[in-house]
Amino acid sequence: MNFGDRIFGFLLYVTGIVFVAGAVHLVSILLMPQVAPHDAYARLSRLAKPGQMVLLPPALPGHEITPFEDPAMAQAVCLYDVSSAPLHLHAEIPDAGLLTLSFRTRSGKIFYSMTDQAALHGTIDVRIMTEPQLEAIEDSEDDENEPLQELRLVAPDVKGFVLVNALAAFPSERAAAEARATSVSCSTEAIAQQ
Amino acid sequence: MLTLFKFLAVALIGTALGLAVTYGVLQRGVAFNSVQAGPWRGLPKSGSPEVDPYARAKLARSAELPLGTAEGLSFIARADSSGATLQPRCDYDVSGSMPAARYWTLTLLSPKGFLIDNPAKRFGFTSAEIVRASDGTFDITVARQARPGNWLPLGKGEPFVLMLRLYDTLLDFGTAKLGAAAMPKIVKGRCE
Repeated sequence: MNFGDRIFGFLLYVTGIVFVAGAVHLVSILLMPQVAPHDAYARLSRLAKPGQMVLLPPALPGHEITPFEDPAMAQAVCLYDVSSAPLHLHAEIPDAGLLTLSFRTRSGKIFYSMTDQAALHGTIDVRIMTEPQLEAIEDSEDDENEPLQELRLVAPDVKGFVLVNALAAFPSERAAAEARATSVSCSTEAIAQQ
Repeated sequence: MLTLFKFLAVALIGTALGLAVTYGVLQRGVAFNSVQAGPWRGLPKSGSPEVDPYARAKLARSAELPLGTAEGLSFIARADSSGATLQPRCDYDVSGSMPAARYWTLTLLSPKGFLIDNPAKRFGFTSAEIVRASDGTFDITVARQARPGNWLPLGKGEPFVLMLRLYDTLLDFGTAKLGAAAMPKIVKGRCE
C-alpha cells in the first residue's frame, strides 16, 4: 500500500463519518417533536383530561407551565383524540374581549388558528375530525346547498390540543378573562348525533 | 476483522458527531425565516403549518407554545436599539411606534422565557392599561427602582429579555417588509 492509497482510504472513512453524522443529525431533528419527553403536550396532559376544557393556572414566577407565557392571558386547554369520534368546539362570543384559539397536533404543530373576529353571528363552532369522519358526515348530509354554519377541520394527527387564550386587558379583568376562556366548550361527540 | 472495526468506528463517531451537532444547533437556536426589525426578532412561521423542522425541534424541546399566525405575532428583544445586550444594571426606555394591532402586550422575561419575580408583581403591560401622553404616544421605563408612569420592574438584577406580542394584527410578512421604524425603540438610560 503506497502513500496515495493510504490517503484515499483515510478520506473514504472521513467521508463515511460525515455522511453518518449528517444522516443522524437530520433524523434526530426530524424525530425531536415525536420524542421530546417534556414537550407542551406532555406538560398539559398532566393538568387536563381529553375532551374537556380545563383552565390553566395563571403564569406566575416559578409556576409557569411552558416558557414564554403571556401573563396577561388567561389560558384554557382541551386535549383531544379524534380516533373514534370528532371533537366539537362551541363558543358564544358576547363581548369585545380578545379571544384566540389555536389548533395544535400532539407534536405541537399549529394547523389552524383564529380569533373571536372569525365568529359567525356571535358564535364559533368548530369540528375537528379525521378524513374518513369528514367523508361520513358529508355523505349523511342531504342538502348540499345549505351554507355551513360550522368550521370543519381535518386533524393531521388523531391526538392534539386546542389552546384558548383570553386577554385580561387590565389585571382586574382576570376573572372575566378566565370565564371567557372556559366558556369555550369542548366535547367528543358521536357521528350519529349529527 | 480490522475492516469491521473501522466500519464500527465510523458509525460510532458519525452518530456521536451528528447528535452533537443537533444538540449544538438546538442550544444555539438556528432559525430560518426569522424577521428582524431593529432590536426585535420574530419567527412568524412558527405559528403556521409551514414551520421548519429546526424550529419544530426547538419548540418541542423547550415546550414553548408559539402564537398561531391568525392569533398574532411575537417578537423578542435581547439587545437594545444600538445592538448592545440588555443589561440588568441599566435602565431602558421603550417608546416609539407600534404596528397596528387590536392589542399588544410587552412582557419582561428571563432569557429562557420565565417571569422574573418583583415586589410590585408587575410582569408586563397590555396596550389597554398603559398610561399614554395626550397625543397617544407611550413610554415604558424598564428599571430596578420604581418610576412614575409605566414602570416595568427589573427584579433583583437577573438577565432579561423583552417580549412583544401583537394580537390580531394585520401585519403580514408575506407582503410587507417590517422596518425598525415601525417597531418600538429600546434606548439605554442610566446604568448603576
